[in-house]
Amino acid sequence: MTIIMLIVVITVPFIAFDVLPAIGDPESPPNSHVSDYYIEHAIDECNSPNMVTAVIVDYRAFDTMFETTVMFLAGISVVLIMANKPRRRIPSPGDFKRTRNTGGTPIYQTINKDVMISTIEPLILIYAMYVLFHGEVSLGGGFQAGALIGMTYLLDVMAVKRDKPIMNLTKFMSAAIAGLGPFIYALTGIICFIGGGLYLQYNKLPFNIHEAELHSIGITAVEIGVTIGVAGTIITILNALRERISFDDDND
Amino acid sequence: MMTTINAFLAAKGIYLLTLILLSLGAAGIIVCNNYMKKLICMNVMQVAVIFFFLCFGQKTGGTIPVALSEVVKASEYINPLPHGLMLTAIVVSLGTTGVGLSLLFRITEKYGTIEEDDLIRRENKTKTGEKE
Repeated sequence: MTIIMLIVVITVPFIAFDVLPAIGDPESPPNSHVSDYYIEHAIDECNSPNMVTAVIVDYRAFDTMFETTVMFLAGISVVLIMANKPRRRIPSPGDFKRTRNTGGTPIYQTINKDVMISTIEPLILIYAMYVLFHGEVSLGGGFQAGALIGMTYLLDVMAVKRDKPIMNLTKFMSAAIAGLGPFIYALTGIICFIGGGLYLQYNKLPFNIHEAELHSIGITAVEIGVTIGVAGTIITILNALRERISFDDDND
Repeated sequence: MMTTINAFLAAKGIYLLTLILLSLGAAGIIVCNNYMKKLICMNVMQVAVIFFFLCFGQKTGGTIPVALSEVVKASEYINPLPHGLMLTAIVVSLGTTGVGLSLLFRITEKYGTIEEDDLIRRENKTKTGEKE
């Protein structure tokens, strides 16, 4: 098996690498046809200096809508797979505490994680908002902001021990939040019908302002939907998995 | 000779590295006995594919794809299309990893193990009616 893999790895490059373009060649096929159009027309047509955002939520908005739906379906399927009532948690905390050698508090308390994480969390959330609302004018976007918000929840729930948690979402609640994201996305497309446009044609949004502003409004609304969808899905997966496991410093 | 190899590696060497990464992932999926390790190898394969696509977005001397007022030529920005496509692929890979992890939880609850040979042995025992 290893020998076959080695032969494949060594021989395929010399056959196939002539087909592939050289790195950094501006004239190569992937860099020349449609991407030049995106680069040259992103500001005129979408009012979005960040071309990646222009591509994913304006030119290819259908693609991103169904990617967000795939995320939501992944969250729903995790909830459904874990829907049965477990006979015991893995590993069962009672058995685990009886068999382990060192009881009580863990020994790796080098920094005060309760204070540090509580300090850092608001900064992460501010950064997530910055990434979200500057998605079309500088680097950033909905997916990254959603990942940041989801990771903040993860950090808060898993690393800080509180008697009364700040945010306590059940997995059904967070799945509902994850479904709200694709809903906002699709609603933005439907509102474009009212102004007489096609689905997700942002310059036909029914507001009485300039066309470029309408594009910014549409992109921001869609990005908010993507953010809510991604953050909700991450929280759903975390909540569904977290019911079944226990750690060595859990209380229950 | 040396300059030929250098030029080849500078132009096409990254494809060799991504191919090695992809083969590592595929070999891991075939060879590993533990389902958790198979899931990790699947993620390694996804990362290899993402790297392969990102190679196409590169341009020599190009800047990031955010429009600047003093840079107007299209050949001076790197290609935004692979970045947009791979951004969504990364997020979807997170969803597939979550579903895979939940399936592993269910396998652990049903069989008590995620080692493949252990699992097959227990399944055969329950089929033939023997008790463990």
